[in-house]
Amino acid sequence: MSAPAEQLQSKPIGWDGKTLIEMTEESKRLFEETGRYYGVEDLTLLRDQPILYEKIFSRLRGGLVNARSTALNISASPIVRELGELSFAIYTPEGDSIALSTGIIVHVHTMSDAIKYMIKHNYEQTPGIRDGFIFCNNNSMIGDVHTADVHTIIPIFHEDELVGWAAGVTHEVDVGGINPGSMCYGHADRYGDGILVSSELVGENDEFYEHYLQRCRECVRAEMYWVLDEKTRLTGAQMARRQVLRTISEVGLDTYKKFMREAIEEGRRTFLQRSKTMLVPGRYEAPSFTDLPWADDVNVHGQARKDMMMHAPLSMTVKGDGQVEMSFEGANKWDYHSFNCAPSPMQGAMWVQLTQTLWNSDKINDGAYFATDLKLPYGSWANPDWEKVSTTLTWFFLIPGWSGMIRSVGRSYFARGFLEDISASYCTSWNLMQGGGPNQYGVDGAFTNFEVSCGGTGALYVKDGETACAAMWNPEGDMGEVESWESMEPLLYLGRGVKPSSGGPGKYRGGTGSEALRMVYNTHAQTLFNGGEGHCFSSYGVYGGYPGCSGYRHNMHGSDMKKRIENGEPFPRLDGDPEDSQISALCEAEEENFDMKAIQGPKHFGEYDLYLSMNRGGPGLGDPLERDPRSVVHDVNIGHVLERFAKSLYGVEMTREGESFVLDEAATQKLRDSMRKKRLEQSVDAKEFFDQQRQRVINKDFIRPVRDMYASSMDLSSEWNEKFRKFWNLPADWSL
Amino acid sequence: MEKSYIMSMDAGGTMTDVFFVDRDGKFVVGKAQTTPHDESEGFAASCVDALKQWDMKPDDVFPEVITGIYSGTSMLNRLLERKGQNLGVIVTAGQEDYFQLERGIQTYLGYSYQDRLKVVTHRHNEPIVPRKQMFGVRGRIDCFGKQAIPLYEDEVRDAVRQLVGMDVKGIVVNLLYSFANSDHEQRVKAVANEVMAEAGADIPLYLSSDLYPVMQDFARLNTVTVEAYAAEPSRGQFKRIADRVSGYGGDTQLRVMASHGGTISMDAKELARTLISGPIGGMVGARYIAEKLGEKNIVCSDIGGTSFDLGLITDGEFTMKAQPDMAKFMLKLPLIEIDSVGAGTGSYARVNPISNRIEIGPDSAGSKVGMCNPQASETTPTLSDCNVLLGNLNPYNFLGGDVVLDPDAAYRGVKEHIADPLGLGVHEAAEGVLELFEDHLRNEVFARIFGKGYSPDDYVIYSYGGGGPLHVCGYTAGLKFADVVVPAWAAGFSAFGCACADFEYRLDRTVNAAFPASDMDPEGFKGAVSGYAEAINSAWASLETRVAEEFDKSGISSDQVEYKHIVRVQYAGQLNDVEVTVDFERVESAEHLQQIIDRFEDAYSKAYSRAARSPELGYQTTNVVVTGTVPVEKPALPVETVSSETPPESARKEGRKVYRGGQWHEADIYDMDKVLPGNVFKGVSVLESPATTLVIPPGFEARLDEHRLFHIKEIKG
Repeated sequence: MSAPAEQLQSKPIGWDGKTLIEMTEESKRLFEETGRYYGVEDLTLLRDQPILYEKIFSRLRGGLVNARSTALNISASPIVRELGELSFAIYTPEGDSIALSTGIIVHVHTMSDAIKYMIKHNYEQTPGIRDGFIFCNNNSMIGDVHTADVHTIIPIFHEDELVGWAAGVTHEVDVGGINPGSMCYGHADRYGDGILVSSELVGENDEFYEHYLQRCRECVRAEMYWVLDEKTRLTGAQMARRQVLRTISEVGLDTYKKFMREAIEEGRRTFLQRSKTMLVPGRYEAPSFTDLPWADDVNVHGQARKDMMMHAPLSMTVKGDGQVEMSFEGANKWDYHSFNCAPSPMQGAMWVQLTQTLWNSDKINDGAYFATDLKLPYGSWANPDWEKVSTTLTWFFLIPGWSGMIRSVGRSYFARGFLEDISASYCTSWNLMQGGGPNQYGVDGAFTNFEVSCGGTGALYVKDGETACAAMWNPEGDMGEVESWESMEPLLYLGRGVKPSSGGPGKYRGGTGSEALRMVYNTHAQTLFNGGEGHCFSSYGVYGGYPGCSGYRHNMHGSDMKKRIENGEPFPRLDGDPEDSQISALCEAEEENFDMKAIQGPKHFGEYDLYLSMNRGGPGLGDPLERDPRSVVHDVNIGHVLERFAKSLYGVEMTREGESFVLDEAATQKLRDSMRKKRLEQSVDAKEFFDQQRQRVINKDFIRPVRDMYASSMDLSSEWNEKFRKFWNLPADWSL
Repeated sequence: MEKSYIMSMDAGGTMTDVFFVDRDGKFVVGKAQTTPHDESEGFAASCVDALKQWDMKPDDVFPEVITGIYSGTSMLNRLLERKGQNLGVIVTAGQEDYFQLERGIQTYLGYSYQDRLKVVTHRHNEPIVPRKQMFGVRGRIDCFGKQAIPLYEDEVRDAVRQLVGMDVKGIVVNLLYSFANSDHEQRVKAVANEVMAEAGADIPLYLSSDLYPVMQDFARLNTVTVEAYAAEPSRGQFKRIADRVSGYGGDTQLRVMASHGGTISMDAKELARTLISGPIGGMVGARYIAEKLGEKNIVCSDIGGTSFDLGLITDGEFTMKAQPDMAKFMLKLPLIEIDSVGAGTGSYARVNPISNRIEIGPDSAGSKVGMCNPQASETTPTLSDCNVLLGNLNPYNFLGGDVVLDPDAAYRGVKEHIADPLGLGVHEAAEGVLELFEDHLRNEVFARIFGKGYSPDDYVIYSYGGGGPLHVCGYTAGLKFADVVVPAWAAGFSAFGCACADFEYRLDRTVNAAFPASDMDPEGFKGAVSGYAEAINSAWASLETRVAEEFDKSGISSDQVEYKHIVRVQYAGQLNDVEVTVDFERVESAEHLQQIIDRFEDAYSKAYSRAARSPELGYQTTNVVVTGTVPVEKPALPVETVSSETPPESARKEGRKVYRGGQWHEADIYDMDKVLPGNVFKGVSVLESPATTLVIPPGFEARLDEHRLFHIKEIKG
């Protein structure tokens, strides 16, 4: 039996003869009227049949986890296969997530946005939504984090009725941007971002259109990765779909429908309850900043060639009922760089942080979305009012922008006594090493090195942060293996080791970061990026702890490495202490870039050129003078802290015994006493301090980028303008 | 008199089991406390304990033992407790911080999902070699195996001199890409030997290119280091056990169970692969029985106190993992793929106070059983508590009656922690928890089989371990397996399995050799044959030589060895390879390449969807493998006379009530050791042995066959 195509199209695919638009509007109306998801008041399935409820959940979730672990074997991309940059989820017909797999769950809500976009734009009419259709999306203005993350979304039909969606996402090695690497930057706007697929119909009958795959092959570098990842996502999504249908066949359609609604409402209530249990109501302010020193960077577009600052005045409000609101009111304007964020990535970032802190559970779903609010000022970098902005590396603003959330949550934990959960926040996940060009196999390639997923973690209330461990966007960080990276990138590792003193000092030290020194080899040309903050600290430490060190750039162009190797002379393994740089000591070059411009546009490198990639350490917690001096000595002995900082930062005196140091307890006590005394001597009255600083503000005693940043914030938000003025008690005629 | 016993032992963390089986398949199992300082003491006590069941002594039996197999956890414990040898390590310059950086994955290996998400719980391993004993030497081999930077030999001299001064017991050498070109490692060895000769030192060297010539430098370093650190000291333990055996008049050579499912000599070069042997014994045993019974596809399911382990045998072959992890280390060893996919009988069940939803695990009371154990002081109910409460477990039968369990305590626990918060009856709640547990397992079992491209009716499922038979009907219900089998010796099945293993070496080597698809690029395909053949054949030849050398240590000549040739293949550029066994010994023709393609494509499209096939990328061999096997005596399957369907009265124990499907049933209880082949047990029946319980619920029946295997089938429509 088959109906003519036009009849199928005109018959609504939603429930009870409704269209998807009608269903979505109803969902919205019910939530607004009742404050509960789909107006669900009693969780009758959970209450009356708790075992069945749990069985359905376990079945769906198990199906997603298995889909992920099977599908990832199809990918050729180490980012997906080894570092797990993929995840799967299932959704209601309206696009609300019910359950999700492990992996990059930042995307659970971004895929939801992509589905909602399709519904809103009446895809039900055209191109139609039918069993076996395949949709693809990587447009962050619709729903995504950045172009490098690609979604595959398929509808799930039970007979003629849409019962939901299955979707999967992977991070791509290259997306055909104006320069190689998955997240290139330096161009002005979206036209350099690479292939853009905007919730597009890309296949039917469970197969991709050949013309679609061909377009992808033609538009991206290293197309094998792209095409295999398409297959990876489709395979996983199909497995998830099969599991949903199997579940329906066992429990019945009505029960499954009921479960969907209850699962999200239950998720919402659970989130509120957790928030009430763990947090203290009130408002938490934790702004952060990052620098973009591009005034002299000839590698970037003219419109972006200026020194800029990002302003992220994050404020978290916890309400009495547990509702959590995040606001970026006061964020400055978007600009002609690639670090702009759309609401969808901001939402995703909040998810990531929630799942690492408040709700680290396999049971999380879009219920959390209904229990949180996110305020993103229109026109700011966090919600641009021009949809042609470039967004390839939204993370560059988003990572520092959200660091305050962990500090805010930590303060709440402290008040509630959840001491073991307190973290000084994450490190910024830089340096981002990416690029491409003719590779060692003689073909043009592109790569993104995901060592960056292993930064030092923030110090905890009870212990030091971990060395090279995780990223803000992926708790399951992994550096991969040197031999794996070298087989993809035409750069030899001269070394990969701990970066001394990169972890923020404190009573508990931030986790130590790492560095890799690479030598371009077996190619005559590579385009490489440096990415990370240099002048600014973006994650600050708590309770007197210091931030982890910010990054720097140290690259050698036109080096004498070839000659050194031929002559058997020493050459650098790592950079070590930048004030006593191994690179500078053991290598000469025609051009040495050694400065704090840690974010650099695409730059040409030749064979034997050196490239330093430094991964950040975590912020510290507590006063460094309270740190156990034995731990400081141990840190120096294993290369985690530079000898000179033992004294200047920690007040620890050591003496050398053979190859290592031993603690001089008495001298340490004396030094610490004198440092404390000196602190007292240097201290000023808070009022006096405030007045001094106020005078600076009145005098507009800011460097140019800071001044521009505040001016932009005030320009965009009268609310924040008012707040700033009130705080500093500024005269009425003061303006920037 | 002809020799006719097989012995296997398993020295676990707390108990040492010894298993003897005679020519007719009759066996005894002995138990004794493990004695970590000298495992041979526990071994001796366990032998005595086992053989007294036959009224015999070790001196009577050992002269007639033809095969002896060791498996145990001492090596693993040495690693976990960081009590291995003091080592030095020489790596490529710049990589001296290997054990400080590790890989991020080693900070959360083995964690529950909740903790994997939660970064504050992640922890690095304590380095097994201190930073000051790590030395880097300049010199580089690139990814093609070509020298990019010559070896700076002075740095090698300096490093070895310092290590000699540090009195290390071994030096591990792991240079980048040494698997592709071992020249630099060989030079390090030569220079080190010179330096040691000058210094009058003789420290063993462990070269990664000698021991584990496979790609991925960090996992390889882990493996070689673990070999030197934890495995090498085990040779002493083995020797002491071997001495006991000879002391009893035995002259059999003891072999050790290895992770690839074969046994290897105690003198084998690569002993680290014996680190992981515990869980695979059962799979080896299941494969052996299945082979005898003509079954090719087997699901092995094993429920212990803390986990549900699942492994598949497809077409008579195990699936091999090339990079397993153990004790939070990524390793490069072939390991039979077994996954822990669910909770065990000791796992806690509770209701989350925030969401009011049931959660099982991930933590577990393990050997403490649960609140029903009066000797433990558990405060959260476990699955065992639910089982005791519902009558599935006999409180007087636990550990053969050594500990009497308290059903009332279980009742109180389930009531307080599960039933009351959910507003359910206590028995209803307990049954619900078990249902949930079994349902999850059933889904996992189904998913694994489905993931291989098969359906359950292509498979026979074996259930063993202390908790397997208790839940087997639950987790197989409705899946329509070809057969569901529970060996009557389920609890000792792992020890039995070890005795079934071949004497087999398996060696892997990384090669990177590719060729295009024959139909898409016929010219390229033809042109690739000779180069591919050369790469594969020379690697196979080198591995055959090494296998022969290993057998030579046991006095076995190469012509007695049966070799198997394997290539691991993936679509060029992909990262997941599939093991392809070929039926030729050398690649000699285009037909041989075609056989590789056909077998790979067949396996690949079964494992993934058809849409995922990507022949346009061509085919790449990542690793070649050679296995060498020598036939050994294995236990005979018992063959007993088939009796009537009705179990003998002597097997009957006191009846009790069992709660199932929301009501109490009068259950028939039997002593598992006394029931006879041919007997049929209808639900509700419970068969008890000291270490395991088989529950037959309503709608099922079990029949014991002449080999003492229970076959379970669903009888309801």
